[in-house]
Amino acid sequence: MVRWLKKIRVAVALVFFLSVSFLFLDFGSITPAGLHSVLASTQLVPALIRTLVVFGSASIGLVFILVLTLLFGRVYCSTICPLGVLQDIVIRIAKRINRRRRYKYKKPSYVIHYLLFVLMTGTAISGSLFLLNLFEPFSNYGRLLSNLVSPAVVLANNALGNIFGFFGLLIIYQIPILHINAASLIAPLAFLVLVGVLSYNSGRVFCNLLCPAGALLGIISRFSIFKIVIDENNCKECGLCERVCKARCIDSHTLEIDSAACVGCFNCIDGCPTGGMSFRGRRKQTARTLPVVHEGRRALLKSTMLPAVGLLLPMGDPGESADKNQKEYDESHRHPISPPGSISIEHFSEHCTACHLCISSCPTQVLSPSFLEYGIAGIFQPRMNFSASYCNFDCVICGSICPNGAILPLDSTVKKQVQIGKAHFVRDDCVVVTKKKDCGACSEHCPTKAVKMVPYEQRLVIPEVNDEVCVGCGACEHACPVQPRKAIYVRSNPVHGTAKKPKSEKIEPSFNSNQDFPF
Amino acid sequence: MDRRTFFRKGFGTSVVLGAALTGNYDKLFASAVKESGSPFDLVAVKGGDPAVMFQKGMDALGGIRAFVKKGQKVVVKPNIGWDVSPERAGNTNPKLVAEVVRQCHAAGAKEVYVLDHTCDNWQRSYKNSGIESAVKDAGGKIAPANTESYYHDVAIPQGKSLTTAKEHELILEADIFINVPVLKSHDSARLTIAMKNLMGNVWDRETWHRNDLHQCIADFASFRKPTLNIVDAYNVMKRNGPRGVSVEDVVVMKSLLISTDMVAIDSAAAKLFGINPSDVRYIQLAAAQNVGRMDLENLRIKRISV
Repeated sequence: MVRWLKKIRVAVALVFFLSVSFLFLDFGSITPAGLHSVLASTQLVPALIRTLVVFGSASIGLVFILVLTLLFGRVYCSTICPLGVLQDIVIRIAKRINRRRRYKYKKPSYVIHYLLFVLMTGTAISGSLFLLNLFEPFSNYGRLLSNLVSPAVVLANNALGNIFGFFGLLIIYQIPILHINAASLIAPLAFLVLVGVLSYNSGRVFCNLLCPAGALLGIISRFSIFKIVIDENNCKECGLCERVCKARCIDSHTLEIDSAACVGCFNCIDGCPTGGMSFRGRRKQTARTLPVVHEGRRALLKSTMLPAVGLLLPMGDPGESADKNQKEYDESHRHPISPPGSISIEHFSEHCTACHLCISSCPTQVLSPSFLEYGIAGIFQPRMNFSASYCNFDCVICGSICPNGAILPLDSTVKKQVQIGKAHFVRDDCVVVTKKKDCGACSEHCPTKAVKMVPYEQRLVIPEVNDEVCVGCGACEHACPVQPRKAIYVRSNPVHGTAKKPKSEKIEPSFNSNQDFPF
Repeated sequence: MDRRTFFRKGFGTSVVLGAALTGNYDKLFASAVKESGSPFDLVAVKGGDPAVMFQKGMDALGGIRAFVKKGQKVVVKPNIGWDVSPERAGNTNPKLVAEVVRQCHAAGAKEVYVLDHTCDNWQRSYKNSGIESAVKDAGGKIAPANTESYYHDVAIPQGKSLTTAKEHELILEADIFINVPVLKSHDSARLTIAMKNLMGNVWDRETWHRNDLHQCIADFASFRKPTLNIVDAYNVMKRNGPRGVSVEDVVVMKSLLISTDMVAIDSAAAKLFGINPSDVRYIQLAAAQNVGRMDLENLRIKRISV
């Protein structure tokens, strides 16, 4: 009947899938400004969280997704969601490998899915996105790309650069990979294996068992105006629709379609040999209504779950050390530094779903995936990693692309006074003191001269920190040559402050071109 | 054997060792210039546009053709260390860099590369310094220097603190190396001019900072003599260097220096800046290591007003 529905679905899915993927792989920053926010606005959970922070394009995206779902059911899951499309790709591969693969109707485990959904929502409201971030589809897809695929693409780029370079062509630049660590590799890999195995064997089971977006859209799609229905007049009860349904939501015996589990892929309509299926408005609907969620169960869950959140607060090892400086250093490094625009660690931690788009887009790669630095509650959320790099003084990219509003957009002039931390100088460890030689790498790199060189013994100069004008960019810490513990490092501002503008006065030239040369 | 192995094994040992045995580093790169062939040890120009001053200065030295020959491969090394706009004078004046590239091409250079191991993000620094577009417009090639893979080990036989370094492969391969620093205040080194600018040739700068910065600067200056040094003193950052905080750190001096001797040119530039060259320790150390001469009064200096 309406076979073009599937073709449209595939075309739209490819457009979204490829463009969202490109955002995470765009290490050359060639994506036009604005496209980031347009694309990110179409992602349910980020758009929802961002709308709670600021009203803007994300809110329009959110309304669009909700209206889309109210009209046509969970078509979002088969088109806009990159993780959904990734699973469809796995499913397609699975079908290629085993042509006789068929699905069988399975009553979805609504209890588990909704229980998990309520837990995710509840913990998120009480301040920890830990559970949500483990299963949120956009962010998981983002972590896959930025931690696994992007480094692979960069390696390929560099290999190609080497080949071109061998022939004297410098058109492909080498790109260092600075933000990778064991946890940031293993976690997305584990997730990929989980989703890969689930979808390879059982279709869209992740979407109907674990996914928070799937749960929410499933509830809405129960009330959608258009639904896929089996037309009893044309149906020959061959069961083909059930066999091609990767959401496993068609029961060909009762001729019922569970619209809450249906991801709107239209494979059934495409596959039906007799035109026995259609995508119809509510009035013509023949299918029966579906199970309802038990509200009482939900309330009970909410009340039992809040104490569990307490277990997810930041943890860390204070570390035993006889050395006072070491103690201070360890203490200070227990507190991660959140990017400028994130207001405070609390705001950041409560709104970041760890999609790692900022990590992929950061030109200096100072943003790195954390593991437990923010505590279990903030697992995988990005942090400023000054051993990898430092924050470019003029750059405001992370705030401009964050889909969630965890990092809010900053004007470049405003950003130059946002103080995410303060430099702390450990005199005893400095090269000037330990070796009695000039160094000054910290002061060289400081964009505000919060770190200044002042006279020291034997005509040497030593750093002095004025933390009023320090923005905490980490340039001093990154540049400090002292190993393994830097002699200057940034201490986190849990709530970002405002640095003073560096003072400046006119200066007289020592020489002008009307004078004779002084030599 | 790939190119990298060639450099590591071939260049790093045989060529440099060969030079070490004969004590002939200067001739490694400055072979085109006869020491006595040049009429002046130092040319100082003032009062014009950067490009015009460079042209006038080179005329006094017999033109760029006295240094760059047909078919040669040239590397021009400006200071592109920072992600700041040209008027901040944190990087070499793009007009000057473009003119150097243009003249090298006019002299028949086969390829002219421009690069620097930047401190700030390299792509932003190349772009916002104005140097990337100026060089491309002048027909030069902008080369990356942002990962270790571009660098190869070299030995510095005369080095006291710095005995090895990793230098950019394009510089190692080049027939002609032209050093185009900008004169700036520098918090730790006091001043950054010609010798200090060579820190952008190498990969590992932390080692320098850890092991007596001044000595390392002098040591690396002994590694080899650039074919030419051209000091941009048009806009000069007088304080808060090397990055600077605002345009208010900058004064207009409208000057330019040219020399094959880094010690001489650094000494003259220091005087322009208002600092006694002997107060800059690396200048003193380099002079003591016979890298060049700081006795400006005994040098043949051509002074030009545009």
